[in-house]
This record gives sequence, structure tokens and C-alpha cells, in this order.
Amino acid sequence: MKLLIVEDEPKTSAYLHRGLVEQGYAVDVAQNGIDGRHLALEFDYDVIVLDVMLPGLDGLAVLRELRQRKQTPVIMLTARDRIDDRVLGLQAGADDYLVKPFSFLELVARLQALTRRGRNTPVAQLRVGDLEIDLFARKAWRDGQRLELTAKEFALLAALARRQGEILSKTVIAELVWDVNFDSDANVVEAAVKRLRAKLDDPFPQKLLHTIRGMGYVLEAR
Amino acid sequence: MKLSISRRLALMFAATGFLVFTLLGVVLHGILDRELLRSQRAELKARVDLYTPLIQKNGDPARWHLVQSKLDAAIPGDGRARYWIVGDDPRFRYGETTQGFGAAQGDGYGELELNGSGKPFRTLSRSIGATGERPAVRLVAALDQTPYRETLRVFTIALAGVSLAAMLLVALLGHWIARFGLRPLERLSDEARALSPSKLAQRLHQSTLPPELSELATAFNGALDRLESAYQQLEGFNADVAHELRTPLTNLIGQTQVALSRERGAGDLEEVLQSNLEELERLRAIINDMLFLARADQGLRASNRVEVSLAQEIGRTVDYLEVLLEDAGVQVRVEGDARALVEKSLFGRAVTNLLINAVQHSERGAEIVAEIAPRGDGILVAVHNHGTPIPDEQLPRLFDRFYRLDSARSGSSSNHGLGLAIVRAIATMHGGQVVATSERGVNRFGFTVAA
Repeated sequence: MKLLIVEDEPKTSAYLHRGLVEQGYAVDVAQNGIDGRHLALEFDYDVIVLDVMLPGLDGLAVLRELRQRKQTPVIMLTARDRIDDRVLGLQAGADDYLVKPFSFLELVARLQALTRRGRNTPVAQLRVGDLEIDLFARKAWRDGQRLELTAKEFALLAALARRQGEILSKTVIAELVWDVNFDSDANVVEAAVKRLRAKLDDPFPQKLLHTIRGMGYVLEAR
Repeated sequence: MKLSISRRLALMFAATGFLVFTLLGVVLHGILDRELLRSQRAELKARVDLYTPLIQKNGDPARWHLVQSKLDAAIPGDGRARYWIVGDDPRFRYGETTQGFGAAQGDGYGELELNGSGKPFRTLSRSIGATGERPAVRLVAALDQTPYRETLRVFTIALAGVSLAAMLLVALLGHWIARFGLRPLERLSDEARALSPSKLAQRLHQSTLPPELSELATAFNGALDRLESAYQQLEGFNADVAHELRTPLTNLIGQTQVALSRERGAGDLEEVLQSNLEELERLRAIINDMLFLARADQGLRASNRVEVSLAQEIGRTVDYLEVLLEDAGVQVRVEGDARALVEKSLFGRAVTNLLINAVQHSERGAEIVAEIAPRGDGILVAVHNHGTPIPDEQLPRLFDRFYRLDSARSGSSSNHGLGLAIVRAIATMHGGQVVATSERGVNRFGFTVAA
């Protein structure tokens, strides 16, 4: 998976580079719009992460020129949380946008969504350690024992299991399970995870659902 | 081009003056013209009356020279009055008859230009019946109009001159009066000019102003009141923001410094980073909320509005909050329904905040009612819960940013005091308002959306 980051802020581009390399992407970084345009047009990337405010040539101009020749998916990063920025970006052909301050996890989730697009193979069975999930029958077992889950608990478990090994932030979970796409003061996800954990992990010695403090939750057999 | 009020008034005065004096001039001119005509006619009539008896009695050609000499004597040296006697018998005539007054000419007043002289004359002719040898004749008296016309001309010129001068005077006086009359306005603008953000409590003095301006000053002072309170709110808001950001920042700086001041194991450092991340998430949440509020302040309107059943949307939110509600031991009942155009995620966010607010102030086992009802030309969505009565004066302020009933600031990261402010912003984005009441132990918070 090849990725281009066009971002002039050195700290931002440094951590994005490092983080995304660690996520298994091959990452190129451009520090300004002109280099960014050059790289984006010369090479084939799977996704381009493009800052709006750039020296030399701004992100929207880079995007417009790119779109005249290529359909590479683009995520825009904008610091100005203004409606016209988003509208302009989406009109110019951006596939998604993130408003600074954004969380790294959210960026990863969006990148995955963009690269996964189009090759969504339906899965019926999921397996994490001794946990088995039947997505069609909406049933789950651990060690052969049926877990009595409510509909929402099952939805949460399925969401985590589909992305096993990936850290899911509370925001992403709220969106996947409840279709709620706003930050709220409510600790709904925390409370729901606590309930799921009581049924999923508490009776068993091996824990599968892990809390990553400050980031979110991950389902994996460690 | 914009004219100053005083100049405009001066022009209006001048225009009024022009109108009045022109009218006056026309009327005076008319009166004079008529009077002059009347006096000319009176004179003509007097002259004709004077000589008619003489001619009437005279029917003898031998004595006709008496009439002629009388009339000769009656013509003044400047020739401004003339006489003619015309008739069929040449013996009984007087004056040059080249003027062509035939016997056919009727009696009465007329006008005539004398051959050669170019002078306009006014005439009066009268038939005199036959006596003795004399057939019927006609006596014609003529009066030179020139002096009368001259009088009228001089009068007209004088009238025009005086009128013009008077108009100018009126304009000048008008300008001066206007400036004098507008002096309170100048004072007012001087005062307004002296207003500055550093003296927020300053107001315009109304006591010395005339009633018309006093009203303006009242309105202006009202605007100043609102600005002052907005300004103070903004200042308070800035202080609150700084305060809200200060706590997580203090933690971040402090715990990072502590962590770095010794050699630490990876586990310890990881824990510091995790704790830092929590604080940072808190900062991010605050900043995102503030950006959201700022966008609403800038007049952003909900753009992705779709028509939905509000009860169904509230149901979705209740579904989302189900775990929290169960943990708090609280039931939610939805009453009523209506369809309205809302942006679903914004509406859900507002309802979430209202419900969380209600849950936080409810006791275990309590029931929260979410009410949907038409209100005015919109729809009201309100959440009721039993709770401590809230004083009336605090009710409207509850939707202010960072406003908390208990002025002690809770440090809980789950609630940074923007929840209800966000409800208000969302209401504004939907063309609605917020509502808060506290009656008989039931606190009710809600908002309206345009139907």
C-alpha cells in the first residue's frame, strides 16, 4: 500500500510518516505543494493525504491539477473548520476530509475505508482466539459456550471482530455500532464495552477485549 | 451625492420661499393689472360723461365749432387723451377720421393703436342720438396706456427682485436655523465619538436632548447595553476557555516533566503517554466544541436537513444512550410526535446533550419525559426531569458556554460545560430557540426547530 503525505508542518509529517510506516504503508512525504504535485502526478499512490494550507501551491490547487489526470483517492487535512473549505475540497474531488485537530486513529480508519472500498468480501464467520462469531445467525461462542448477548452487544463485538487487532477509537465505535457521528459527552462506548466485557471476558481466563488507554479498544488474542 | 441635513433644509426653505413668492407675485401682478384697467376705464368714462351732454344738445352745424373748441381744449399737451366724433354727416365730426371708426363700431371699451405714434390707447365709444340737423354720432375718447404699462413693468421688476432677494434670505436663514436646530445632534455625535471599549459602561446623556433625539439615544443606549453584555460574556468566555484549557495543560506539562526528570522504565513512560493522551483528547474535545459553537455564531445553518419523525429520531438517541440510562436506573418516555426538517446528526447531538443533562440531575428510578409538541410556528422538543428547582434568573443563562449552576467547576472530563451551549447552537442552526423552565419540581430544557 503506497501512500503520499503532503504536509508542511514538520512535526505533523514526521509523526504521520512514522505512524503510517508502522501500520504497514510505504510512505512518501512532500513538504510543499509543488513537490506534492510532482510526486502525485509522477507516481501511483493508493491514497494521498493532502493538507489544505501549503506553501508554494495550496492543497486545493494540487487536488484540482491531480484530478485532471488521476483519480487517486485523496484525504484533505484542514485546520479551518469552515464549511466552505469542506465544500471546496469535496467539489475539487477530495474523497474525504479531516479537520485538525484530528486523531491519528481516525486517519488510519479513514485510510482503511478508502483503500478497502470496492473489495468488500462478505464474511460469515469470524474467529478471534477461542471466540467464534457467526455474523449471519448473529451468535457468538467462546470455547464452544454460547454467549448470551443483546443485539447491541453483538453489534459491538462484531465491529471489533471485523477489525481484530486494530485499535478502534470510541468515536469510530459509536459510528459503527450506533451510527452516531458526533462527539458527545456521553460515555456510552465505555459503558457498553464494560457490559460486553462482563459476558465476553470475565468468565474466561484469556482476555480478548483490551483497553488502550486514551485511544480506544482492540479485540485480539494476545 | 449626500447632502447634509442643514443644507437639505436650506434648499427646502428656498424652494418653499420660491413657491410662496412666485404665487404672491402672480397674484399682486394680477391685482395691479386689474386696478390699472379699472382706473383707466373710470377716467375714460368720466371724460365721455363730461362731453356727452354738450354734444347731445348741439344739433346746429353753425354752433358745432363750440364742441370742437371744447374738445380741443380738453386734449392735454402731452396728447395722452384724444377725442373723436364720428358720424354720417361730415359737418358734425371731430378729429382725424383716418382711424376708421365707422358708425358700425359698437359702443363700449376697446383698444387702438394710433397711426404713426405707435402708442397703445384704450378707448370708450358711446353713441349719441340725433338732434336737430345732426344725425346720430359716436363720441370716442382714447387714453394713452403707456404710463400705466410702465407702472406695471416697474412694479413687476421690483417684485421679482424683492422676491429673489427674499428667497436667498430665506435659504440663508433656513441654513442657519437648521444648523442651530441640529446642534443637539452634533453634541450627540460628539458623545458617541467619545465612546470606547475601555469605557464600556458609558452611555449617552438623554436629559439634555430634545424628545426626538432622546428616543434615538435610548435605542442607541439599548444597543450599547446589549453590546456591553455580549462583550462581557465574550471576555468571560475567553477567561473560561483559558481556564478549561489550563487544567489539562497543567497536567500535561507537569506529568511529562515528572516523567522525564528520572530514568524511567518503558512501562512508566507508556503510562505517562497514555495519561497525556487522555488530557489531549480532552483538549481536542473542547476545541472541537468551541469551533462548532463558533461556526454557529458565524451564522452557519444546518444544510443537510431532511424531513423525519422527531419521535423516531429521539428513539434512536435513547437507543444509543440505553446502556447509560440503564446504569443510571432511569427510564425515558417519548411523548408526542411531529415531522420536521432537521439535520439528523445535529438533532441527535442536541437530544443526547439534553438527555445526559437530565440523567445527571435525576435520581435512580426516575422517569425522564421527552416531549414533542407544536409551539408557535415551530416544534418544541423538551426533556423534563424531576430535580432541584432552578431560580428564574439563572434559567436563561444555563445555555451560556461554561455556565454551571454550582459555580464550583467540576473537573470531570466527561462534561466541560458546553453541552447546553451546543444545544442552543443547534437550535439556532435550525432557526429555533432554546427553552428552559423550572416549575413544581420539574425542570424542563428544550429547543425549537422550524417546522
